Amino acid sequence: MFCSAIRKILVNSQNAAKFSVISTQLRYLRGQRSALSEIDVLHPTDISTKQDDKELAAETAARKSYEEVALDFGSREAHVPSFNLAAYANSSNTLQQFVKLGVNLHSIERRKGLGEFVLRLDFEKNVKPYISFLADQGVSADDFGRMFTKNPLLFKEDLDDLQTRVEYLKSKRFSEEARQRIFTQNPYWLMFSTRRVDRRLGYFQKEFRLSGHDLRLLATREPNVITYNMEHLRKSVFTLKEEMGFNAKELSALIVRKPRLMMIPPDDLIERFSYIHQDMGLSHAQIVQCPELLASREFRLRERHEFLKLLGRAQYDPQKDLYISPKTIVEGNNFYFVRNVAKSDLKTFDLFLKTR
Amino acid sequence: MALTKVYDAVTVFKHLNGILNVYKPAGMKAKHVRNAILSNICKGLNEMKQRELRKLPKDTPLLGTGTAADSVLHNIANNEDLSDNILSVGPRYLPRDIRCATVSSLGDHTSGVLLFGINKGIGQSGCLRKNQLVRVYHITGCMGTATENHLPDSHVTVRSNYRHVSADRISGLAASMQASHQRKMFELCGVDLQTQEAYELACKGLIRPSDDSQPVIYGIKLIRLEGPYFTLELHGINETQEYLAALVHDMALELRTVAHCSQLRCVRHAHFDVRDSLLRHGWHLPGIMKNLRQQRDILREHPELLRQERVELHA
Repeated sequence: MFCSAIRKILVNSQNAAKFSVISTQLRYLRGQRSALSEIDVLHPTDISTKQDDKELAAETAARKSYEEVALDFGSREAHVPSFNLAAYANSSNTLQQFVKLGVNLHSIERRKGLGEFVLRLDFEKNVKPYISFLADQGVSADDFGRMFTKNPLLFKEDLDDLQTRVEYLKSKRFSEEARQRIFTQNPYWLMFSTRRVDRRLGYFQKEFRLSGHDLRLLATREPNVITYNMEHLRKSVFTLKEEMGFNAKELSALIVRKPRLMMIPPDDLIERFSYIHQDMGLSHAQIVQCPELLASREFRLRERHEFLKLLGRAQYDPQKDLYISPKTIVEGNNFYFVRNVAKSDLKTFDLFLKTR
Repeated sequence: MALTKVYDAVTVFKHLNGILNVYKPAGMKAKHVRNAILSNICKGLNEMKQRELRKLPKDTPLLGTGTAADSVLHNIANNEDLSDNILSVGPRYLPRDIRCATVSSLGDHTSGVLLFGINKGIGQSGCLRKNQLVRVYHITGCMGTATENHLPDSHVTVRSNYRHVSADRISGLAASMQASHQRKMFELCGVDLQTQEAYELACKGLIRPSDDSQPVIYGIKLIRLEGPYFTLELHGINETQEYLAALVHDMALELRTVAHCSQLRCVRHAHFDVRDSLLRHGWHLPGIMKNLRQQRDILREHPELLRQERVELHA
């Protein structure tokens, strides 16, 4: 009776010893997972319940290896958490190559998740094929930095997809230079699937009844319009068509000449238009002739028009004498304007501005 | 000492202190003016020559793969700290690195002299603010229409005739308003009116208010009248855009007509004149540095702007 009780206690203590070994191993594994380093998984220590001294030896071995892991920082230097990419620039080959290309790492890391993505890239495997692909498309080496700064997610796309998208543009008879300009100016273009780009181009063609040539001209002149926020584009088109009252023909001419108008906030656009149309007294036809007027900020127009009015030179009717082309009003800096258009001097212009 | 051209951003930043006199355009918020100025300063500084790249410490662990083609090792041999590169850490100067405070803000529709204290000039700008300096406004009112908030951008509420208004009547009204405002000035100076102290203050002439709670007007004068427009010159302390617009409205009511304020322009803030102020096309680093120097000269000529001991007006 007494002996059996002692035996029970012994068995219990042995079990406890077994559990302690398992728990140290578990702790070790957990520590390893949090360290995220490439250290091979420790061979499982054999758990023997037969002999106490063997058990002890295994336990101490496990503890020793656990301590070693806890103190080993050597190869984890590059994986210390950081708030920015600059911390890894010295140790990551990819980042160094990016810096050489002229990519702004600080503007990449500001966008959520991109920093981590860039850090995971392997230059030889993930980046080089894309660079050679873009170089094949005629993108010059100076533009790589700007492009990758804007859109590092390009490296996520499949190269075959990119090739398909290029083939699509070729099939739509975009010339070599046009394609090169599109890819350089708008790094997001290649992210859009062929179907989506096709839908967008179709929208523009239908909305403004453009010919193929005009559509290509539009897309080449301002590639960003094609991939712009569709909601915003619809709003601007509504503003141009309904609020300003350009007819279909004028609108298509305006859009092809200055596609950027569609990317300006509609409120600003309508403000500029009302100033040009009502205060400066230019007709729709004249505005279509020089869409730069609508692309220039309102205060600039106001300053220059009022200065010309003060000098008595605000005469925009080509039939009469002393005609001033509206296009020249928004050209150049203030000095150029004052000397060549207003034919006055900068001091007068400054004094005039200080009375307003 | 001979003048030398500076190409070094650090030197420029070191001297970027003092009061800046900017011409605020109408229709632009003072906050936007401030942001534009600061970002232009940073743009200018970042285009200049930057400091050298930091060197790596000697005992940096080598983390490359060890082959000759590995650029990691090349860079370490070059001993340049790439984490200090402008491309990886971003531009050296950011708008938030420059401290900036307005002396007194102008309303959205007000144009004219706007003073900023930049970096070490913040102390000076605080002094200027505390010293309650006089500002001079040119206010143009447009008779015939009244608007909801007395400024041109809101709904027209009343129209009326203004043919009977003559320059004499406006001047007369302005003079009487000036007199009544000057009585108010003594009430606001923080001294009991029935004391010897108040009498002595009154002997000295015009005095400035003790705090910035109430607007005080020292002079109103008609300087131009043509068509529906009339322009007043107004000297005051603690005035706001709304107060001035309401003043024009009240004046018009006294003249048996209605008016709204079509233009508000601050032409002078103490000795800081509109002639020295920086127009929008001059908001770049060289222009700003030149302007800071000019304002420093003005402050040196008039030390009383910063250290005010007398209560009476002289600026």
